[in-house]
Amino acid sequence: MPITYYKLPNGLRVILSPDSTAPTVVTAVYYRIGFRVEPKDRTGFAHLFEHMMFQGSRNLGKMEFIRLVQQNGGVLNGSTRFDFTNYFELLPSNKLETALWAEADRMQGLAITDENLKNQQDVVVNEVETSVLNQPYGGFPWLWMPQYANSNWYNSHNFYGELKDIKAATLSEVQAFFKTYYAPNNAALAIVGDFDPEQAQAMIAKYFSAIAPADLPTPPDLSEPRQEEEKTATRKDPLANRPALAFSYHMPPRNSPEYFAMGLLDQMLVQGDDSLLYQELVKKHGFTGEVGGAINELGNMFDYDGPMLWTAALFHDATVEPGRILSAIDEVVESLRSKPVDQSLVDRSVTKMRSSLYDTLTQFGGFGRADLMACYALFDDDPSKIDSLESEFRKVTPQLVERTAREYLRKTNRTVLLIDPGATMSLDGQDEQDGHDAPEE
Amino acid sequence: MSTEVFAGPKEIPPQGPPPKPFHLPATTDFTLPNGLQVTIVPYGTVPKVAVRLFVGAGAIDESAAQVWLSKLNAALMKEGTRTRSAEQVAQEAADMGGQLELHAGSDFTSVGGVALSDFGPKFVALMAEVLTAAALPASELPRLTADLLRDLSIEKSQPESLVRERFLGTLFPDHPYGRVYPDESQLQGYTIEDTQSFYRKNFAAARTHLYVAGKLEGDLRGAIEDAFDGWAKGAPPPGMPAHPVKARSLQLIDRPGAPQSNLLIGLPVAEPSSPDYIQLDVMDSLLGGSFASRITSNIREDKGYTYSPSSKIGTRRHLAYWLQSADVATDVTGPAMDEIFYEIRRLQQDPPSAKELEGIQNYLAGLFVLRNTISPDAIIAQLHFVDSQGLDRSYLSTYTRKVMEVQPGDVQRMAATYLVPSQMTIVVVGDHAKIADQIAPYQ
Repeated sequence: MPITYYKLPNGLRVILSPDSTAPTVVTAVYYRIGFRVEPKDRTGFAHLFEHMMFQGSRNLGKMEFIRLVQQNGGVLNGSTRFDFTNYFELLPSNKLETALWAEADRMQGLAITDENLKNQQDVVVNEVETSVLNQPYGGFPWLWMPQYANSNWYNSHNFYGELKDIKAATLSEVQAFFKTYYAPNNAALAIVGDFDPEQAQAMIAKYFSAIAPADLPTPPDLSEPRQEEEKTATRKDPLANRPALAFSYHMPPRNSPEYFAMGLLDQMLVQGDDSLLYQELVKKHGFTGEVGGAINELGNMFDYDGPMLWTAALFHDATVEPGRILSAIDEVVESLRSKPVDQSLVDRSVTKMRSSLYDTLTQFGGFGRADLMACYALFDDDPSKIDSLESEFRKVTPQLVERTAREYLRKTNRTVLLIDPGATMSLDGQDEQDGHDAPEE
Repeated sequence: MSTEVFAGPKEIPPQGPPPKPFHLPATTDFTLPNGLQVTIVPYGTVPKVAVRLFVGAGAIDESAAQVWLSKLNAALMKEGTRTRSAEQVAQEAADMGGQLELHAGSDFTSVGGVALSDFGPKFVALMAEVLTAAALPASELPRLTADLLRDLSIEKSQPESLVRERFLGTLFPDHPYGRVYPDESQLQGYTIEDTQSFYRKNFAAARTHLYVAGKLEGDLRGAIEDAFDGWAKGAPPPGMPAHPVKARSLQLIDRPGAPQSNLLIGLPVAEPSSPDYIQLDVMDSLLGGSFASRITSNIREDKGYTYSPSSKIGTRRHLAYWLQSADVATDVTGPAMDEIFYEIRRLQQDPPSAKELEGIQNYLAGLFVLRNTISPDAIIAQLHFVDSQGLDRSYLSTYTRKVMEVQPGDVQRMAATYLVPSQMTIVVVGDHAKIADQIAPYQ
């Protein structure tokens, strides 16, 4: 599919990809600020801020943005992720200009009050309670694993936020965060669907070109040191009644040959009932009913830009010691590290990956395509990278798979997280257990 | 006080040109000699094809002594066919870019997956084999039973599962729809003969509808005819009419220390074939079923009592129920209930403004386009809803017109006629000591 990519004089990256299959259009604005980089005494701030982007701007008061999209026949959402925060609308295609006008309006500035902030602090506290604190296995493993596996604060703090930090945020902090990060030169605008690119370019120029760029802060150092020893952590979960086990390995650098090989290793090991760990842990040993896993549990292996984990998780019975499960995992993983896999296994993984890529790109009416284009524009200045992904996976050889497994599926590159269920603590005690609260979008 | 001051009058949002005409994807429908119904929908340019077989067999076919037997049967159906092991099925599906997915629900068990288009006919044949020639091996029964026991135990630790179990149990006493979870001992007692007999009795061509949607390649019709040729016709689903309870009750399930209360408030409403159903749909979207709805605006965006409140109309075959759910902070459990009932009463007393209604009508019209274009599986879900409810396919082609014809007085009438508080089941899971007094007025 064709891609048009350019930048406005104020630095806004624009990516256009028309597709007339359905009379709908996705408008997505991505800001290059995720939850890794938030003030150290304000965990959860990036996510709380995302909520504030729906609370009012110059021409759209509280609830008016939401109502505008809905009354025009569309749906919308926003989410906070490792390295971006996004806002998007899926609308009938004749409403593209409406969406552009509205997104430009809130890129210019927020018109919000203390009352709005207090309201959304309450909503976000409820969100954390619904998703984590009042939920068995809440935040397992996505919220907890990075806190144990990573050592750099930016990668290892509580992304949902400690409740006290969420409650402590002030309106001036919200406005300062906006001024620092929500500028056109720190953003990408992606449009996918049934539209005319020339008309879209004219509308984008009209609504976005007057927005002033900002001086962006120097990004902090996000790097993680090479892990040299296996780590194991246990969390007590008073709400859970079966144990659970998750394990993570640090990923190779993004876009390296080993990174693409890890994409195929993920397919080989945990994606689908044909996968090696499903066959070993579910079918052969009966330890669990399923094994779930992903590179980047809050998105996919393409939409992040920094250190990342490949994570898999399962629920099991108290009669099975975690050590037995880990031995079975080791047996499968070591077989990949000691000799090249069959070419047929690589071929199957490429087929699964290709099929999965189509799903990723077409997810939610073209939103998936907008997501990848915006990320490749923000992180690599090259959204056309999405067209070369398949060929990168096809380059992976059995030898590269072995080499990648040898370095990255090292036991010493691994963190194991165990959930110890049914501890005697009541719900009230959850905050005390090890000082962690929890986030999602 | 606002920190950012903008001067001057507000701009009016640009409206854009009139909408492009929308045409539903065309379908080809036929029935095989053994009664299997087939619907084929060519759609889109992405080289993937969704194949879904819906068999009219599920919880509805379980006796009180057989709760989750349909789930155990579905799990066993994944364990290979008379000619292929489970691993072979999984590997062959993976080589086609697909995966076998089996799900047992209230009225239907579905078998299928989404594969690369090149393999469409071959994928249909593989799915057909899984459905018609399941091995149901006794050797796998203990492991699958242990898996279901684990699932059961985990589900019953979730507050949203508890509230749902009690709600459906109250609405459908003495009916399979109300039996959400089995006892552990019951689940442990199922034998291979139990599942094999469930499969033999309930899985047959006359109870099955195959949908294929997406970018289509190869001779799908020929593959379908070949694949299902020898399958027994069987009888159509026997049906098991349900008479959901319309009576006020307040039920509190204690969850000591819970920081939130999980609320569920609802009652039976007109079924999908009723002329009122689309008007109910509009009423629900305006009241609590959308982000900008009245209840969400009130208890989330105004009061901050909750993160994700929502109402919806749930359906089973030939019946529907309305429900509002919300996870609310413990100390505002009573006030949140007050606001929900306040919004119900307000809509019963006064019709919405024409402008508010028009916004909801446009929303539903837009949503309808999304639901019929967003993916092959979404298209299948729309068609399956219409077919399984015994509606004419014109339900889809006339849906938008009927939504746009709804008047403010209709919305008020739907709320007044159907959302009768004295007929509502109210279930609350929360900290009894802290909320009992708050919700006492709703006894």
